[in-house]
Amino acid sequence: MPEKSIREMNKLERQHYSLAARTFRATILGAIILGLAALLIGLGLYAYALGGQYIGEAFNLSRTTAALMEQSVDVGPLAKEIAARYRSLPAERLAEVGESSYREVFADIAAREDYRYVREFLSAFRKTSDVYDIYLAFYDRDTCAIVYIADPEEDEAFACLPGDWESVPRREVDRFLSWNGEGRLYDVGSTEKYGWLATSGVPIRDAQGETVAFVLADVSLVNMASRMKSFLLLYALSMFVLVNLVAVLMARHMKKTLVAPINEIAEAAEAYVRDKREGRSDSDHFSKLKISTGDEVENLALIMADMENDLTEFEANLTRITAEKERVGTELALATRIQADMLPNIFPAFPERPDFDVYASMVPAKEVGGDFYDFFLIDEDHLGLVMADVSGKGVPAALFMMISKILVQNYAMTGRSPGEVLNAVNAQICSNNREEMFVTVWFGVLDLTTGTLTAANAGHEYPVLKEPDGDFELVKDKHGFVIGGMESARYREYELKLEPGARLFLYTDGVAEATDSTGALFGTDRMLEALRSAENGTPEEILGAVDRAVSRFVGEAPQFDDLTMLCVHYIGKETGKTMKTAKEMTVEATVANIPAVTDFVNEELEKLDCPLKAQTQIDIAIDELFGNIAHYAYDPATGPATVRVEVEEDPLAVAITFIDNGKPYDPLAADDPDVTLAADERKVGGLGVFLVKKTMDAVTYEYKDGKNILTIKKNI
Amino acid sequence: MTINTTKNGTELCLAPEGRLDTVTAPELEQAINENLEGVTELTLDFAGLDYISSAGLRVLLSAQKKMNAAGKMTVRNVNETISEIFEVTGFCDILTIE
Repeated sequence: MPEKSIREMNKLERQHYSLAARTFRATILGAIILGLAALLIGLGLYAYALGGQYIGEAFNLSRTTAALMEQSVDVGPLAKEIAARYRSLPAERLAEVGESSYREVFADIAAREDYRYVREFLSAFRKTSDVYDIYLAFYDRDTCAIVYIADPEEDEAFACLPGDWESVPRREVDRFLSWNGEGRLYDVGSTEKYGWLATSGVPIRDAQGETVAFVLADVSLVNMASRMKSFLLLYALSMFVLVNLVAVLMARHMKKTLVAPINEIAEAAEAYVRDKREGRSDSDHFSKLKISTGDEVENLALIMADMENDLTEFEANLTRITAEKERVGTELALATRIQADMLPNIFPAFPERPDFDVYASMVPAKEVGGDFYDFFLIDEDHLGLVMADVSGKGVPAALFMMISKILVQNYAMTGRSPGEVLNAVNAQICSNNREEMFVTVWFGVLDLTTGTLTAANAGHEYPVLKEPDGDFELVKDKHGFVIGGMESARYREYELKLEPGARLFLYTDGVAEATDSTGALFGTDRMLEALRSAENGTPEEILGAVDRAVSRFVGEAPQFDDLTMLCVHYIGKETGKTMKTAKEMTVEATVANIPAVTDFVNEELEKLDCPLKAQTQIDIAIDELFGNIAHYAYDPATGPATVRVEVEEDPLAVAITFIDNGKPYDPLAADDPDVTLAADERKVGGLGVFLVKKTMDAVTYEYKDGKNILTIKKNI
Repeated sequence: MTINTTKNGTELCLAPEGRLDTVTAPELEQAINENLEGVTELTLDFAGLDYISSAGLRVLLSAQKKMNAAGKMTVRNVNETISEIFEVTGFCDILTIE
């Protein structure tokens, strides 16, 4: 395995490690190993066969020679003569073999007739075959030697004269002497003089049948080795050619069926990656590949084509989804803008109105929030104020907020009182609120002439009020249930009197529940403190002070709730407050005095050209209120009651105040009677004050210095 | 206040004039109570009535409750002021107004 990755290789290295080159090398290596093994086996078999053939030839020759020799000559006397002389020699003489002193002992043998015949005989046979030598000798068991009798060799350097002997291994002596005539008699051995020889022989018997000598044929294995060498050369040559041929063919085959297709796939992949980098989609690099190898490579190409198609499809889907997401994001941003634009957000909102100033702000925690504020003039004299917080966050809350905002304003614009408005909104929302969302609403209507604030609270935070000579304080008003929570919820309204200079602050829980990094809440105490720090500021300055205080408190901690605030500064109409006339009368509080009081007031009303309807309503109010004082204030005794008539101008209005010293009693504190009950279920009490509240534009009560002071006001 | 009373067998018609308020309401109540014996059809004619206060409403409610048990009660010739009061107080649903 290469040590570096293919990407780090140069061209030469790549070629070296390519599949084709490796196949080529592997084929050559394999073929060489196989060839060598075949060679070894072949060589062995060849040597065996050749050796066998040589030995066989030598054996046959020696047998033929021996047979013929036995018939033509008796070698017994010659062999015995030499043997006798040999055995007669002492060991030291025997050691002189080859020397002339030794040969002298056998010198006369050469002249013997039978020796010469035998030698000629052997020479003739030697010439007819390609054996190395064929000769006559006997084995001497005692000295373990072969003793030559006749050798046809001409070369003096190699020729053995009669009586010459050579030492031979014991096993050869034993084998030859004890041969029983079965198989071939031979022995293979290495000699110093002749190299590797295979000696094969056949015994010759004399007339008496005694083995006297052996006809021996030597076959030189050197000859065989040289033949094997040429065989080896031929073998190696043909192997080389064959191996190379096979390797080249294998490499070519590999290149065609494996390397080329893989390279095609690789090129396609490269082109694919390039396309992707350059942002081209819809490529068909894998799909147009034509690989039909029918094997794993084709399978790979098909899988890659499938993958390419899938990826193209996936990419198309992704593009569509991304586009969709972008569209949703854009629409959400648009929704945020629309939501923000729904709320009055141009300040000063009423530059033409010197009698009040209002400022509000909303910082949503998410893109779109559920908080909202609202303010609007219901008519020239009545300012509607809304502060609300929808449950939940995000788009659902924003949609719910829209509905709530529109409903509150629409009902408010019909002139209904805050309690009625919330009742109507609640009924409307509850009628189809499957998502079970709800909204807390504080809704108030500020009478810009009198400063009377009529409000109802549907589960919202306490408003904060600062009277001109007082401090910012929470107004712990009565909470109704949240809007959208319960169909049967009823919202009770209450009244507050705002003196000119008063400031009303409304907010959502995002202010009080802003948290710092330790999880501590901002809380209403800190909020009041912040308000007090800017108590005489404009609404904008006051909101700014709270906003800064919250930001300082929160620090880097993330905010989860919207931050929504509204502040009204009630300035009042300086001219509108001037009293034109004020008249009063004090009488004993009895029913009998009601007509007198009525006449007294009517006299003033007639001066104002009061419409009959308004006058009638005022008369009824006097009947009710003075009647109440007569009945209950001093019960069971009687006491005095003062009636004061004040006329205001611009707009024209009359205010009638009833003052008594009786038991403290706030007629406005009682619940309004349920006017929807059937006759049999109706109670008789409470209707009078209810009627007064309905017909008069303002009714206020206070108990001061031991006096019940009740004022009604009617615009004329 | 004057109350014109017309009784015809089981039919009683009362027509109060002027104002029906804390002072005068007891008079109407008395007139009704005195004549109601055996009456199954009570008619209140408000043609001459200027206005009505809660004391008057209380009398009407009481009379209506009685007539619910004894027969029927009708109020007729109601002017705009009184009609509005009936409206506000829910009496328009309780009374039979012609």
